[in-house]
Order: sequence, then C-alpha cells, then structure tokens
Amino acid sequence: MKIDVHHLDDLALGSVFLATGGGGDPYVPKLIAEEALKKFGPVEVIEAEDLNDDAYIVTIGGVGAPTVSLELLPSIEDAAKTLEAFEQQVGRRVDAVASFEIGGGNSLIPLVAAAGRGIPVVNGDGMGRALPEAQMMTYAIAGVKPTPAIAYDYAGNITSFSTSTTEVYERHIRSLAMSAGGMITTAEHPMSGRQIKEALIPGTLTFSIELGKILHENRGNAEELLKPLQSIFEPSIYGDCRCLFMGKVIDKSTRIIGGYDIGEATIEAFDGVGDTLSVSIKNEYLFAKVGEKVVATVPDLIVIVDYETSTPINAERLRFGQRVAVFAVGCPDFYRSKRALDVVSPRCFGFDVDYVPLEDLG
Amino acid sequence: MRIGIDVGGTHTDAVILHNDKVVAATKALTTADVVSGISQALDTILADAAIAQSQIETVMIGTTQFTNAIIERRELSPVAAVRIGLPSGNGLPPMLDWPEDIAGAVDGHSYMLHGGYLYDGYKVDDLREDEIEALIADLLKKKLKNIAISSAFSPMNASPEKEVAARIKAAIPDARMSLSYNFGRLGLMERENAAILNTTLLPFAEKVVTSFLKALSQRGLTCPVYISQNDGTLMSADFVKSYPALTFASGPTNSLRGASKLTGLQEAIVVDIGGTTSDIGVLQNGFPRESNVVVEVGGVRTNFRMPDILAIGLGGGSMVSQEGQKIGPQSVGHRLVNEGLVFGGKTLTATDILVASGKADIGNIPAVADLEPQIVANAQATMHRMLDQNIDMMKPGGKAMPVILVGGGAVLVTEGLKAASEVYRPENAGVANAIGAAIAQIGGESERLVSYRNASREEMIAKVTKEATDRALTAGASEKTIRTVDIEETAIPYMDEASTRLRVKVIGDIAMTDQEKRAAS
Repeated sequence: MKIDVHHLDDLALGSVFLATGGGGDPYVPKLIAEEALKKFGPVEVIEAEDLNDDAYIVTIGGVGAPTVSLELLPSIEDAAKTLEAFEQQVGRRVDAVASFEIGGGNSLIPLVAAAGRGIPVVNGDGMGRALPEAQMMTYAIAGVKPTPAIAYDYAGNITSFSTSTTEVYERHIRSLAMSAGGMITTAEHPMSGRQIKEALIPGTLTFSIELGKILHENRGNAEELLKPLQSIFEPSIYGDCRCLFMGKVIDKSTRIIGGYDIGEATIEAFDGVGDTLSVSIKNEYLFAKVGEKVVATVPDLIVIVDYETSTPINAERLRFGQRVAVFAVGCPDFYRSKRALDVVSPRCFGFDVDYVPLEDLG
Repeated sequence: MRIGIDVGGTHTDAVILHNDKVVAATKALTTADVVSGISQALDTILADAAIAQSQIETVMIGTTQFTNAIIERRELSPVAAVRIGLPSGNGLPPMLDWPEDIAGAVDGHSYMLHGGYLYDGYKVDDLREDEIEALIADLLKKKLKNIAISSAFSPMNASPEKEVAARIKAAIPDARMSLSYNFGRLGLMERENAAILNTTLLPFAEKVVTSFLKALSQRGLTCPVYISQNDGTLMSADFVKSYPALTFASGPTNSLRGASKLTGLQEAIVVDIGGTTSDIGVLQNGFPRESNVVVEVGGVRTNFRMPDILAIGLGGGSMVSQEGQKIGPQSVGHRLVNEGLVFGGKTLTATDILVASGKADIGNIPAVADLEPQIVANAQATMHRMLDQNIDMMKPGGKAMPVILVGGGAVLVTEGLKAASEVYRPENAGVANAIGAAIAQIGGESERLVSYRNASREEMIAKVTKEATDRALTAGASEKTIRTVDIEETAIPYMDEASTRLRVKVIGDIAMTDQEKRAAS
C-alpha cells in the first residue's frame, strides 16, 4: 500500500483517537505531511514481516512540548534532514523509518521523512497509542537501545547522543528540547529488521487510517459511535471496546509536575443521577473509575470524545462544562506481557492497583 | 440615555435605555444598504420616546456585516500576509490551508521573513535588512496596501511585528496594517488567520463605520458611538476601522447579555427559540460561557473565542411527525406563514400543535380542530423533553437553574421545564440583542506564556493584567472602573514545571469625561 495526501485526514483523526488524550494536536504535522507528499509523492508502506532481517530501520518523530509547535512551526525539510544527519552519523543508509507512537502528531512525521528520502515507512509503531515516556515504548521494552540518536532543531543545529540507558537518554533529550525552543525532531532507536519484527505493534499505521475513516463517517452524536468503533476494534489487535460513560465535565484540575500535565477530571451523568466518572491524567487519560469501581486502566486505552460531534478531546483541551462520551479499548497483547507491565502498569503511574484487562473488569 | 442597535441579517432592532430601563424599542427590516434600515429604526424610537437627540449620551451598535462579508466572500480586499519566523515553518506559508474560494477572494500574497522569538524569549533569528527591503519593493510593485503581519510568539514579544510595520509605514504611508499580537492568544497560524481576515475587511470597515456615523449625525446624534465585540464588550467606532474582525459572533453574545440584563440574572441558561432552531447558551457571571473548540470563520481556522451555543432543531416551524413523537430537525422556516396548517398550508408544525392545545391564538384555529388530542399531547411532551434534555446537557452542574426564554418561538413552552428552577419570559425579549449591545462595557485582554520559576505568580499576573488594562484604556474604557473579570492559567505539558499559559481579561465602563477620553486617545 502507498499512503497519499488523501489518506492524511483519516490518519490524523484516527491518531488523535489512539492518542488517548495526549500526543498533541496533529494539525500542524498534518499540514507538513500534506506538503511533503504533494512535493515528493506517495510513501510506500512496508509490513515488518516483509523487511529483511538485516535491514536497517530508525524511528523518527518530534520530542518536546506540542504546545510550543503551535508557535514555533516545524519546517517541511526537518524530518528528512534529521534522517540525513543520522545516516551521516552512523555511516550507513537507512532502509525504512518507523513511528515512535501512532497516537497524535508523531504518526505523521515518519511519512515526511520517508517521502523526502524516498524510502518506505514501516506499518506499525512503538506504542499502539500514546504514552508519556521513552522507556514505555515497545522498542525499549524489547531491548532496543535508543542510541546512536540524532536531534535536529528549528535552526538546523544537530546534536548526537550516545547514552547508557533509555532513562538517561530520555532526560538528556528532554533538556535539549527545552533549550532548543521546546520542540526538536529526533532519529533514534535504530534497529535491524529482525529486531523490529519482535519490537513493533504491527499494522497501526493502516489501522489508524481505517479508524479515522470510520470516525469521519460517524461524525455526530456519540450515542451512535459505539457500534462502528466495535466493528473495527474487536477484530483487530486491540479487541474489546466499550462506552464507559456519557455526561459533562464538572471538574478538571491539572498541574505540571516534572514536565507532565498531571490531574483529574470528573464527569457527571447528564441527568445528575448516580456515580460520577473520574479520570486521572498524566498527559494521557490513564485511569478511570465510576464511583469507587475501576472501569479501565493504562495500558488499555481511555478516550474522551465530544458528545455532539464525536471528535476526540485532547486532555489539555478538556474543560469544565464540556459534554463528553468516554470510551475504553483493550491494548495490544504486547503490553499485557510481564516485561511490558513492569513499565506501563497502573503502579508505574502511581496508582495503587494492579492491571486488570478491560474485558475482565465486567 | 443610550441607544442600542442590532443590525442582523434579517432585522435591525433598536432600543433606548434610560438607567437600564427600556424607554422605546423597535424591530425594522434590515435594508440592502443597511443605513436606511438604521435610520428608520432610529426615527421610530426617537419619536416613540419623545426625547431630544441631545439626551442620548452614547450609541452602541452590534453588527453581523463583517461576519457576513467573510462568509459570503464579498467586500474583501487584497491582502499581503507577512510572517516573521524563518527558519522555522519553512514550507508552511500563510493561508496554506484556506478554502480556495476565500483564498481567491482575498487574493492573498504571502511573504516569509527571518526573525521572531522562542517561548523563553531567545531569538529565533534576527530580522534581515535585505528581506525587508525586498518585501517593501514587492509590495510597492504589486500596489498592496492591506498588510497583515505575524511573528512567532508575538503575544509575548511583538517587536519584530512592530519593527517591520514601521518600515512598511515609512515606505507606504497609506498602508493599512493588522499586527497579529493584537489578536492575542498563542497559536501562530490561527492568530495570523485572524489578522489576515481583519486586514481584508479594513477598507470595508472604513466604509461601514463612516456610513454608521453619517446615519447617526443625520439624525442629530453626535454622541460617542461604540460597536460590540464577540466577547460582549465594546470598541469605539474608530477602533473598529482597525479591528473589524473583533465583531465576529457578537450577535449571540449580545442576545445572552441582553437576556441577563432583562432578568437581572448573572447565572442562568438562555434559550433563544426561533423558527428552525433553539439556541441554548449559558450565562456565567453575566457573560456567555465560551466555547473551547477551534473556531472556523468562513472555513478559516481562527483563535476567536465564541459563545458555547448548543443549537437543536426545535422552532416554531419545526415539522411534527410519528404521531407527535418526533419534532424537527426539518423546519418550514420562514415559510411557516404559508405552509403551517393554521396559515392554510398542509404541513403540521410545532406552531400548529401550540394552537391546537388552546394555548395560543394564531392564524385559523379551526384548521387544527381535527387533530387527535393524543398527537397534540405527544408533541407537546416531545418539545418539553427535547428542551429539558438539552438544557441538562448545557447546565454547568446537576442543580436546576433559572432558564430565560427569548425569541419568537418562546411561546412553544407552555408547561414548566424540569431542568429549570424557574422559567423567565422577560418583556422586550424580542430585542434582547439590541439591549445586549446597549449595556456593553469596554474590555481588554492579554495572554502570555510565563514561567513562575523566574518571577512570582503575583508579579506575572500583575504584568499581564497591566497589558490587558492598557488595551482596555486604548479601546476607550474609564480607568477607575476597570476590574479583572477572568484569569485563566493553563499549565503546559512537556515543559518546565512552572510554565503556564496565563490570560487575563479586564472590563470597565465607557470613559465619559473629557479627561478620561483624552487618556484613552
């Protein structure tokens, strides 16, 4: 399959849904991708299983504060220049690029790089959703080292990284982003074809396009959204999909701790009757309870959409008074393994409960 | 005494208020030239109130002309859009994703220069002399005189916009310019779009304001004239010549503000029932609750804040089907007076149900005498249920709230509403918009991305409040009446812990004394 300009609206919308409240607004990345695909033509999508075991793949995307890129706009050449700088650093050609996370704007950046360099993009990503930290990526969990890595800023300054661990890499790359205007493009987690087959959440690029298509077709009242969502999620790597709640936001408080938007929103039923739903936020929606009963937790997906239009709502934009519907979707099996839950279970985010898969929560 | 005028697409309403009491009110048709409709409305209210022109202290006008000009793509002038921000944003020029028809209508010319600032005050790049000279040469060559200027993080540091504007002004003295920092709020493309839409309206604004002033002076009204903005505050007529885009969506805002004035309620739900829809809005602290979604005007993304309005398909012309179980969203609209049963037509409408219930005397009552009582009862229950459910959705909390009914379709509500603690049907509800315009005050707003690490929260709030206050004074507010009405702090993820988007809004009375006016000018 090739991804062309006309797929981008669907991909962007699907990626906002999978971003579970985080990931940033893909509006600007989508504009960049549109311009890149118009200029360089469509991008070839390659399945991980079709890659040679010795193929060389690197992941590429933006790192920093998505809010900043609403002012400090990216440039059309940033992604391809990052890739070029990476190739110079490691002294070899890259055969394909892949995405860090399908949730949000970083679903689109690999397309921009791939278009500019005329190489394919791998169908899949390192999260299957959005998550706040690099060590939560499937690549890191599968043991892929983040470096050698390259960071490229708005002015074309290039910084290379060689770090001991993913955690150290994460700290260094974040502090560089802050001193380089708040947002940088990075090429990182280089791996072989054999490695990526083990480390990838497969198929999410084309899945996100299909999901976006369904969301576009079902714009309007969220009461009608569950069936179409189930029709696409249930046969997929995600599985269970359910509507947790409908109502309006009666409280939302967040504060920034260590660069993360941490807080909680409370949603009350439209008629004001019964328990409220509370959702805990750390950039993404991570943990939902109705009254005292846990109804969904990370790494399963919790998504909040606007009640009237079914548009997914970013956690930053969730406000008092908004009328919303809350959905939950099971996560891919990769995240249900012990080694994955060691870094993405609810406890890793400070919640005092063990992970119970969505479908077992009743 | 003050006069409030609302120029809508269909009607031009006018009221005279004396100490907030309605002395005279009228509803006239909006004329093609707009001005003669205003003149007629003025003649009517001045005669009805039997007062001398000299007793009128101010005139406030709400107008949809600028919104309609954008939506209908007319009266738009060619624009040069200059963005200062390279090397960032290369390949993403201004107006990139505008719908073709409006991009064509504004005949946009894009320019990109190096310069601008980062979130932390560090320079993106220096302005380049050769780029500025080339820009000016091209503007002169293409005879472009309406110019929008934007730069990265200009709400925090507008000096690149101001410097380039000064250079253009020196070379092209009759240039009309809009600087994006005056349209507040972070989000470069949306702010830039607001500035471009404003710029394309500048020659039309000059024409509109001049004709308003002419219509008023012909009626012997020489008092100060103000025009309402989308947030329910006013700008002086002169200010509108430079900022016409700030009038977008002032209509619904004035309607909500007028409803608040008519009832004295600060916290309430306002339901404006027309022929096709019921528009439900929320009053908080006497002002409309604002919507948080990105607002498109004529298909262009902007950073304007609009009132949060939920429109449902229920009005006087809504069609009734399924034995009264379903009402709307289809409506006969303005054809009600031909197509409704009580008007001799063949379509069962909400108005027919109302007449059949015996609660209203409209049109030919025998025409609905044969309607089954069960259908009438069903339809009435459906209407009330639709309103109850949707009011519940808009209410900020679970508690019942006062509901203010305005608009011609308000008569459809014959029973109490479960969602309402009390239902208000104010007199003069038909001219709520004009009243909303007449009672408006002057506001000012400023927004910055701040870090509480480098300066205390109090210091930063004081600084941003000062900027908002300066804007209110420039717009014609009286300094001693200015008060802060809103402080919004939004933490920014993936940034320094103390990074916050801080927005302050102030409001004050119109400056009346000469001294205050001088301070404002």
